[in-house]
Order: sequence, then C-alpha cells, then structure tokens
Amino acid sequence: MRRRKIRSIVGGLSFASALFIFQACYGMPQDMLDDVFIQGKVLSSTTNLPLYGIKVESDYEENYVITNSQGEFAFYTPWSDSLKLSIMDTDPESDGNYISKDTILINPGQEVFLNITLEEN
Amino acid sequence: MFAIFRQLAFRKFRRAETHLHELNYLFWECTTRCTLNCIHCGSDCHRDSTHPDMPLGDFIRALDTLDTRAKNFIVAITGGEPLIREDIEDAGMEIRKRGMRWGIVSNGQLYDRKRHNSLLNSGMGALTISLDGLKESHDWLRNKPGSFAKVDRAIELAADSKRLNFDVVTCVNRRNLSELPSIYNYLQAKRVKAWRLFTIIPIGRAKENPELILSDNEFKEMLDFIAEQRNRGQMDVKFSCEGYVGAYETKVRDTPFFCRAGINIGSILIDGSISACPNIDRSFIQGNIYKDNFHQVWNSGFKPFRDRAWTRKGSCATCKDYTTCQGNGFHNWHGDKSNPLVCHKGKLEDIN
Repeated sequence: MRRRKIRSIVGGLSFASALFIFQACYGMPQDMLDDVFIQGKVLSSTTNLPLYGIKVESDYEENYVITNSQGEFAFYTPWSDSLKLSIMDTDPESDGNYISKDTILINPGQEVFLNITLEEN
Repeated sequence: MFAIFRQLAFRKFRRAETHLHELNYLFWECTTRCTLNCIHCGSDCHRDSTHPDMPLGDFIRALDTLDTRAKNFIVAITGGEPLIREDIEDAGMEIRKRGMRWGIVSNGQLYDRKRHNSLLNSGMGALTISLDGLKESHDWLRNKPGSFAKVDRAIELAADSKRLNFDVVTCVNRRNLSELPSIYNYLQAKRVKAWRLFTIIPIGRAKENPELILSDNEFKEMLDFIAEQRNRGQMDVKFSCEGYVGAYETKVRDTPFFCRAGINIGSILIDGSISACPNIDRSFIQGNIYKDNFHQVWNSGFKPFRDRAWTRKGSCATCKDYTTCQGNGFHNWHGDKSNPLVCHKGKLEDIN
C-alpha cells in the first residue's frame, strides 16, 4: 500500500500522469473507454417464438448484431447515458415481416439483458 | 533545476513501479501464421511459422491463474497475424467476461467491414495497424503487391470508429524515411489521431538488409521529424518506447523512456513460454504455462527484468546516462549479451 502511494506521488511529481497509461513498443494502446455489454432475446409478440435474423443496432452504427436461431443477441457498445437501440427485421419477408422498434436505455449499467417482442406487420 | 527535480521524481517512480511489478499488459502470441512474408518481421525473425496455434482454452486457463490484477489490465493479441484465426472474437468475449480489456496488433490484410464489426461486438477496444509507407514502399517491405490497398481499407475503418483507441505504427527504414511527410498527410486525410514510429533492430533478416537500418544521421532526421510534428500538435506523433534517446527524450514522447518489459508487460508465447515483449531474446524465457502457474511465475520470476544492473557492461559500463536509461530497451539484449544491439543515444552522439 505504501509503495502504491509513493508511486502515485512521485508519478505526479514527475509531471507525467500519462506514465500510468503506457503502451508496449510492439503493442496497441490501452482501452479506457466505458462500454456496455448488451444481450437479450427477440421474440414474436404473436407466437412468443424466437425471431431469427433480426438486426439489433446501437447508436453507434458500427455496432450491430443479427439474432441467432434462438432469437439471441449479444454485443458490446460504447456507454452513453441515453443509448438508443434499433431492432429491425431486415431479412427476406418469407419468414414473416415484423415492425421495427427503438428502445432507449437510460443510464445503463455495465451489463444489460433485454427481452424484446416485435409485432407482426 | 526543474528538470533535475522531475528526473529524480521519475527515477523514484520507476523504482516503485519495478518493486510493485503489477502486470498491466499481457501479450498473447496466439499464432505465428501470417498472411504476409515481410522483408522484416517485428515479432521474431527466427521463429518457425509452422508452429500450431495455441488453443484458446490453454490461454484462458493461464489467464485464470491471475487472482489479482491491475485495474487497467489489457490483453494484446498478437502474432503472426491474429486475424488469421477465426476465434479471436470468442477469445475477446472470454477476456471481457473476466473483466479485462483487449486489443490486437494487425497487418490489416484481413480487416474488412465484417471483421471490424464482429471484433467491436466482442468488446475490442484498442487496435494497432502497421503501415510501412505509401503504396510502393509498403508493398516492398510487406513483400506483397496489393497489401497497401488492404491496409488502407483497414485504416479507414479503424480511424472512423468511435469506439476504438487506434493508432498506426510505422517501421522507419531507408526507403520510407523521405516519405514520412507524405505518410503524415495521408494519415491526416484518413483522420488518424495517433501515429507511432519505430526503427528496426539488426537481428534476423534485417541484419543482412542495409536498406532496413537507418544510419545515425537518418535516425536523427526521423527524430527531428517527430519533434516537428509534435510541435504542430495536429496528430499524436511519437517515437516508440524502443530506446532511450538522450536529449530528444522530451521532444519525441509524452513520457520519459521506461522499458517496462517484465515489470508491467508480460507475454504468453505460441509454445506456452512465459516472457515479456514477444521480440525479446528467447533465452530470457521465465517458464511455460504448460508446466508452471502463470501468476506465480509473474510474481516470483523475471529477476533479470526487474534488476537490470547486469546490463551495466559493454557500451553501457561507462555511460553517464546509465541511471536514466538502464541498458536501453530490453529487446536490445540478444546473443551473448555483452553489449546492447543498439544504443539510440550513442547513435545521436556519434553524429557530433
């Protein structure tokens, strides 16, 4: 504990707060950004059966997943105090056509579990 | 006076860091397979690339020996080319499940939009892509026509990401030295925020190729270029932590030189060997995850990394900067270890 305190004090005195965030020569930078792990399941409101091929996308367009055959999805996305998720049926209409919906997560924790139902169009 | 006080505080800080030796940064050399056959390889120039990939479960078992870890602990997945493996996303999810962060070092050849998306979904937060010049010089070093076009696509995707802490690294050599201003303009046009430059140490294939190693004057020219770009302040340009550069220290980096190999940086290599940075001489291997408990090795091994008094020999024996430099980057001690392979400060002094 004492060593840790000394390290913090002398690190500060050497005016190099970045000393605590270093990068190895052949490595990548560190990652300090807050993010959220979002997982859940998409079901049909009519049949209560899982929906395959539904796109779940966060505010950050680069973060989206497609539900698997169990209707499940899971992904990380940057944290925001108001995080919008869009749930969209983007696959061919042959397996049903569902109405897209948005949901907003206010102050989400580090992990969120969602059960989402979609209505048939 | 101010500089002396700062230097003394920094030395005290370095001693405390060495004593605590918290593992903050763990390399996982998950494969030695690669999509390229470069003229020079920063990973290891001697390795047999036919070694089988390390199974993910073996790495995770070693990771699970860490019953305590630093708050900002991160796994750096490297190779070979890590994206040649299809289970990097699974590895990422396993790492994140344990409350740890991860990133990769990639040549960008397999980094397309689909992979970008799946890596981000799996919690990747940091990425480094190697770019060794504009089209002609990159393709020359990478020894493959068309490799620039692929790395260009990767840089575009990564630089646009709001999630990634991303930087580009460039291996500066005689062919691309005069191109650095053009590379800077290229990166700026791509909205890249951070660019790290390093040089090649004369080991393996690099030893026989005079085009790869900068002369002392060229080395200084590179540092002057970095210093100039840092003054402009438009992009975070820096010299890597590969070596101590004397009077240039405050001009080319954010923090003073501190080789953290074996102090805060560890690695699990392709065959299970436990070491520090993957480019360090294999004679420094401290154990093997298939025989030893990784955390125990980290806690009680690594003596030559944490007490570097043994490096006070050869050109370091009488150096007035030894207390600050402590034998330069650890990866410079190869072979009979009678002398560092490169003394960066010496290269600058030899010019005068």
